[in-house]
Amino acid sequence: MRSADAELIARCRHGDLSAFEELYRQHASRLHALACRMAPTRADAEDLLQEIFLLAHRKLGTFKGESALSTWLYRLGMNVCLDFVRSRQGRSGRLTDSLDDEEPGAPAMPQTPPLDAVSRIDLERAIAELPPGSRAAFLLHDVEGFEHHEIAAILGVSAGTSKSQVHKARRKIRSLLGRPAPRVSGRP
Amino acid sequence: MSACEQYTDAIDEYVDGTLDPEGRRAVEAHLADCATCRTLVQDLEQLRRTARALDAPAPPPRVWAALANQIEADRGAARPPRIRRADRMRSSWLIGLAAAAAVALVVITASVVRLMERPHTTTEAVTTPASTGTTAAATPESVAGELQQAEAHYEKAIDGLQQIAKAGQGSLDPKVAAALQQNLTVIDQAIAESRAALKTQPTSEPARASLLDAFRTKVGLLEDTIALINEMRKGNSAGAARIVHGLKES
Repeated sequence: MRSADAELIARCRHGDLSAFEELYRQHASRLHALACRMAPTRADAEDLLQEIFLLAHRKLGTFKGESALSTWLYRLGMNVCLDFVRSRQGRSGRLTDSLDDEEPGAPAMPQTPPLDAVSRIDLERAIAELPPGSRAAFLLHDVEGFEHHEIAAILGVSAGTSKSQVHKARRKIRSLLGRPAPRVSGRP
Repeated sequence: MSACEQYTDAIDEYVDGTLDPEGRRAVEAHLADCATCRTLVQDLEQLRRTARALDAPAPPPRVWAALANQIEADRGAARPPRIRRADRMRSSWLIGLAAAAAVALVVITASVVRLMERPHTTTEAVTTPASTGTTAAATPESVAGELQQAEAHYEKAIDGLQQIAKAGQGSLDPKVAAALQQNLTVIDQAIAESRAALKTQPTSEPARASLLDAFRTKVGLLEDTIALINEMRKGNSAGAARIVHGLKES
């Protein structure tokens, strides 16, 4: 744990609200972005962000510093977001919920030109189409820049599952951006 | 298993730059012979670049203000239930008007979601292929119609919020009130510019997105203004200061 984080956490634990506000300002934008991409509306995202930091404030006493503070906050945040998404879906999805009902995607047809540019709006829409588990892994890896072993710690899955979810998410997004329907031999 | 399938996982690691030298050489040898996988690599690299450049918008000041209130409430009570938007306003004398505005906002959200789900019809430089969604293609007329509907809903909600804000404006420091008014003027200017752009290019997605974004910003600023008025009326100068601080940053 960084010494600056340790100092900030110590101040928070002593009830210093300005210290917690500093912690909030350091991490709120990234977690707000995450919540916006996991929740269906901005209003839900704001509620989730509030819940994430309220939980963080209540649980700071249990933070042992074994991981970076940001990793710990992302773990709390992603759990809150996934609980919310899954409760809205009305099903008890597991983190490994997959895209198995859809082909993970084959390479593009040779004659198809590469995507010259992907507009952010198109990408945001495609991300919103992903199942929660894949979306979480994709956001953490490709948007937030975490490595698979870090994602494994955040999501409580293996690094292999994280790789698989990111792989599936990328193929699904590519397909949503207009790539031809994949066709892979030997797959069920 | 085809050669391409053999490399499908390795290609992700190749794009991420996490493949060992031997694996990298093997993938590169395959790419030299396979146009299909070369295209895949280019697509994934493009996808990664765009993903890393996605915005991380700062949350509006009202989130911290509500959170700080909740933390303070936590100190005096054993884990109260979490406060959602509706609850945050419940203690306020503004509850009736605010509820009416909230209803209008729900309607807006539904309209805007429908609008945003429309496939692109713009001729602007959106270089990705058309969406594969099942929604029927929008005509310029239907897009314009839905946009007008969304605008009407936003305007209705903004009117409601403005009434609330106006009713409580006396509680605000004149300097803060002037700064808020200045911000509203800037947003109104952005709305006017987006509308002008849409007049010349009715199906332009950037212009549509910009107009809706300006409306959202206005709604957000008005909500923050109301949150500030609430704090002032409750005599919570610390809460009000937090909101003002957030407004300055946003």
